[in-house]
Amino acid sequence: MQWKHLVIFFSLLLFVVGCSDNDETESVSSEASEPFKLGLILVGPRDDNGWSQAHFEGASHAIEKVGGEMIVVDKVNPADSPNITVPQVVDDMIGQGAQLIIATSDDMKDGILEAAAAHPDVPMIHASGDSAWTDGKAYHSELPMLANIMGKMEYGKMIAGCAAALQSDTGRISYLGPLINDETRRLVSSTYLGAKHCWTEVAGKSASDLKFNVNWIGFWFNIPGVTLDPTVVANEFFASGTDVIVSGIDTTEAIVEAGKRASAGETVWAVPYDYEGSCSEAPSACLGVPYFNWGPSYLDAIESVSNGSFKATFQWLGPDWKDINDHDTSMIGFLKGDGLTSENSKELDKFTKALGDGSLNLWTGPLNYQDGSSFLGEGESATDLQIWYMPSLLEGMDGPAE
Amino acid sequence: MSLQLRSITKTFGPIVANDSLSLTIESGEIHGLLGENGAGKSTLAKVLSGFVSPDSGTVELDDEQLKLSSPSAAVSSGIGILHQEPLVFLDFSAVDNMLVGSPRDGNHTKDLAEEHLLKICEQFNFSIDPLIPVQKLSVGERQQLEIARLLWLGARVLILDEPTTAISGSQRENLFQTIRSLAEAGMSVIFVSHKLEEIQEICSRVTVLRQGRIMGTKHLPCPTSDLIDLMFDRELEPQGRKSSDSLGSICLELCGQKVTTHFESGKVDMTFRTGEIVGLAGLEGAGQRDLLRSIAGLDDTVTEGVFFRSRDIGDDSYIHRMQYGFHYLPADRGREGLVDGLTITEHVALASPQRSIATDWKLSREESKKIIDKFSIKGTPESVPASLSGGNQQRLLLGLIPDNPTVLLMEHPTRGLDIESAAWVWKYLMSLTEEGTTILFSSSDFDELMTYCDRIFVFFEGAIIQELASVEATTERLGSLLGGVK
Amino acid sequence: MFVRNDLLFLGLGILVPVCASMLVFLFVDAPPLRATELFFEGAFGSSQRMGDTLMIWVPLLLASSALIITFSAGMWNIGIEGQIIAGAVAASFVAREFEASTPVVLTAMIVAGLIGGMIWGGLAGLLRVRGGVNEIFGGLGLNFVATGLVVYLIMGPWSRRGIASTGGTEPFRPQAWFPTLDGLRVSPLSVLLAIGVLILVLWFLSRTSYGLRLRATGKNPLAASRFGIRTDAYLLLSFLLAGGVAGLAGVTQAAAVYHRLVPSISGGYGFLAILIVLLAGFRGQWILPIALFFAAVSMASFQWQLQLGLHSSLGGVIQGILVLSVLLLSGYRAISYMRKPISEEGDA
Repeated sequence: MQWKHLVIFFSLLLFVVGCSDNDETESVSSEASEPFKLGLILVGPRDDNGWSQAHFEGASHAIEKVGGEMIVVDKVNPADSPNITVPQVVDDMIGQGAQLIIATSDDMKDGILEAAAAHPDVPMIHASGDSAWTDGKAYHSELPMLANIMGKMEYGKMIAGCAAALQSDTGRISYLGPLINDETRRLVSSTYLGAKHCWTEVAGKSASDLKFNVNWIGFWFNIPGVTLDPTVVANEFFASGTDVIVSGIDTTEAIVEAGKRASAGETVWAVPYDYEGSCSEAPSACLGVPYFNWGPSYLDAIESVSNGSFKATFQWLGPDWKDINDHDTSMIGFLKGDGLTSENSKELDKFTKALGDGSLNLWTGPLNYQDGSSFLGEGESATDLQIWYMPSLLEGMDGPAE
Repeated sequence: MSLQLRSITKTFGPIVANDSLSLTIESGEIHGLLGENGAGKSTLAKVLSGFVSPDSGTVELDDEQLKLSSPSAAVSSGIGILHQEPLVFLDFSAVDNMLVGSPRDGNHTKDLAEEHLLKICEQFNFSIDPLIPVQKLSVGERQQLEIARLLWLGARVLILDEPTTAISGSQRENLFQTIRSLAEAGMSVIFVSHKLEEIQEICSRVTVLRQGRIMGTKHLPCPTSDLIDLMFDRELEPQGRKSSDSLGSICLELCGQKVTTHFESGKVDMTFRTGEIVGLAGLEGAGQRDLLRSIAGLDDTVTEGVFFRSRDIGDDSYIHRMQYGFHYLPADRGREGLVDGLTITEHVALASPQRSIATDWKLSREESKKIIDKFSIKGTPESVPASLSGGNQQRLLLGLIPDNPTVLLMEHPTRGLDIESAAWVWKYLMSLTEEGTTILFSSSDFDELMTYCDRIFVFFEGAIIQELASVEATTERLGSLLGGVK
Repeated sequence: MFVRNDLLFLGLGILVPVCASMLVFLFVDAPPLRATELFFEGAFGSSQRMGDTLMIWVPLLLASSALIITFSAGMWNIGIEGQIIAGAVAASFVAREFEASTPVVLTAMIVAGLIGGMIWGGLAGLLRVRGGVNEIFGGLGLNFVATGLVVYLIMGPWSRRGIASTGGTEPFRPQAWFPTLDGLRVSPLSVLLAIGVLILVLWFLSRTSYGLRLRATGKNPLAASRFGIRTDAYLLLSFLLAGGVAGLAGVTQAAAVYHRLVPSISGGYGFLAILIVLLAGFRGQWILPIALFFAAVSMASFQWQLQLGLHSSLGGVIQGILVLSVLLLSGYRAISYMRKPISEEGDA
């Protein structure tokens, strides 16, 4: 009896497969004069108040301007969606007529490379990737339509580090790190450089009194049972004397915990990350947020696809120093929080201005790596390649570098 | 005051547990309910105490018809039951146990309960601290507590269901004293037991039940043999099977070891011969089952000195002993004997010694057909145990006995079988003994014991109190031995 | 009369869950008909989607095959997730350490996965048989240990160079990938493996003397031991076999789906498979369509998100509602069967 069931079942299966092949050809052919379709792949939920929401809002903003449509799939990561892979999502988006696909996570690197190889003529962007950087270590010359966009968040992080150092009483600043790679090493190092500068040069305190510590949870956001719990890590930071946490993860645990402690009377603060609106979780405990403004660059990309000029370019975009919070022009912004004193706010503006006019370049030697070996000699400035592929942490920082 | 039962009938499926029972119990009377296991005493006690609702019949107390829909309804009508081991909340204090299940009104507060308990203690010479957790009380003291509780709730009729099973001798005396005082105070007491001596000692009248029917009511004291006549059927008195001369060499020896149940332990020293049939008589739980399971290697009550053909097998497990040709047939066929959900063919395959990876299902099916034919089982090779009647399940179990067993250990081999099938089964079993199988079986059927056994061991409360050659056995003798009277 | 009742329940069994899902769609303001259409389109709409559905079907089949072994032995193998992970870890070890041609590497990975899963299953079995630890708690504990182990490996010894991320290990060499057909992501080899294993497991359970003893142990251990069966040994055997089969699911997840080791390599398929086997009522042949249906819902939920903008967790909600309504129905059915004889007895 079992075997009869099996036979029937497989006949049905074959029948379905047989039928299904027919309509595949139909679905592709109808797209010509329709509005622009953008496919956006997010690693976390679109409303995470962090990294994914910044992409979602940037892309929404851009697509609104051109009057197009957007297909969004969020939570594309093996923990949340074990049965969805990036190439699969890309295939379906293309099947639905998407003209440009944006994959927005470092974690999607393998997937988007595979998808780009499968669809070499479809414009795609891997935000935060380096596959299109001709000078980079991972250049893929065979993928002519896979571009990269990333912001020079190093500036945002320096400002964040400076704000933390200006406001800190104890001199203990902790960085809530995601996972360890080139990107996160350069960002946490930038934060340290900003903090060290403002601690010694602006506040005039001794460098040896500054304790800068980093702990990594293991991924961009909390995966219960797999990563460290960022809420727990944040509380451990505060419990060990830290009074400012700078967040490097996609989600808002640091500012939420700081808010709880601040409203219980402790003098602690946090600097969230990624999304302009994330201070809203606890405004008075927030010193400000360095954020990405993806709108303008995504708009450019959409327009270049529309007029046929899209190419696999590598863009590493800095702030618009005229006004880093200009939504139409600046890739990187820093929105000051209510927790920052007006005095520190003024100092921070001065610091930002100095970064902008080039009078201050913190990536200047002498700088040593964590193990004491030399990174930059006296007066030497780091190149983009050196910064992007940051191999270690800097001398003066506590915490693992890989 | 009198309690009147009119035509109480209760059936469980095809079994008639109480068949139109009518009975009157006067106030101040201690009335015994006597009968062997399954005679219907417990069912009647449960009907009276509201645990079971009868199919038909009425109960009247002082000419007023009672509604016994639940235990609490029974108690508030004035009928309370004392179980073998009272159901109590072990963590609660004595007085809290009295409050659990009492009506929530001003007459049943904690203070009043405590006051009442102390009064009862004084009256009957109990010594129970109202605040002590019940788990620190002995079973006898828990019974006293339960009696106090039932009196507090207004019981006028007290049913005691085998109350002496789990208590010591001195506690028993104490309990009997209490019962007598209660009766003197005008209460009706129903004393359920299968122990002849106790009934004689305490009851003023006794009603004997057999197979759900009232066989008669006697004033006590009366000759014990009269009670046995009522309890057991003595129509046939067949002769013993054969003399022991025809038996073979010693097959199984038990020496110097202990057979223990939870009451008593005793030394056992016995030998069984090849081809011998030995019956184990006794009431349910008197120790026959423990002996059978010990010999099978399923229990460790016999810990040492089991010899099979002069070989010490005391440490061998049942699975090991099976290799010597031991086989055990349990009483609970559905739970312990057969695997429900597997077909007869699958049972046959399980029982046959097969070691190749793929089972030869064709062969097993042929084999199962043969067994179905040979043992006249009403089923097909695809039947599952649940679809077979008890008799057919037993036939199947017999059919599954491997060839040439050396020691066959059986509980109630023909229970649930009609006379013809039972005769057929015994013909088959005796043919096995011809070929050298030794059979030990427990049974409550005197005819069976007297007809087929070479010897009979009688168990009472965990010990063998008598060994009988089958020619010595009569219904009366067995009946009084079962009741503990030598 | 019983036949008519069976048909009635079969009809209800289809109708009730479908209606319940429609209500869910209405509740979230999605057009139910379009959603239904998308279900078929999303899961079977093209050969590629068909293939993707089969890709989810494979681990579900393997995990269900594993569970039907332990269920036959009367055991709740909650540790199946850990067994899948253990299989994936063992296979990943082979993929990382041995460089050889595809057939050799894949064979070695399958054998390693089998052994890895057996070790993990055997541990749960030993805890149960020797340690007296209920298999549910033992299994849950071992699941945590397995997750911990895999995270440790990914963050530590097997981490990508210069990177410490729970995102996963470096992808395997292409030799350690299950081969695919052009344009499809699913590997026919993994589908064949899954179906072959299911058939083998069903054959083992129904046709062999070991399978028979195992089933007897599960249905009535007391009676089984009276037949001379060493029930403890068969319980352990069931865990070893189930672990091995679950380990194969880990192999396909690592070598045919992710091509690397990720922390959530088991994908929750083990737990999902428990529902599948329960719904199938332990009858092997039903596992095929029910697992396919679950795989299809997973695929469809992606389409619902993509095309109707529904929340990504809706698929899980629908799956849950389907399972609940089927279980409720079968519970109701069992009760109604039980009631019948009692009321007849009461009349008589």
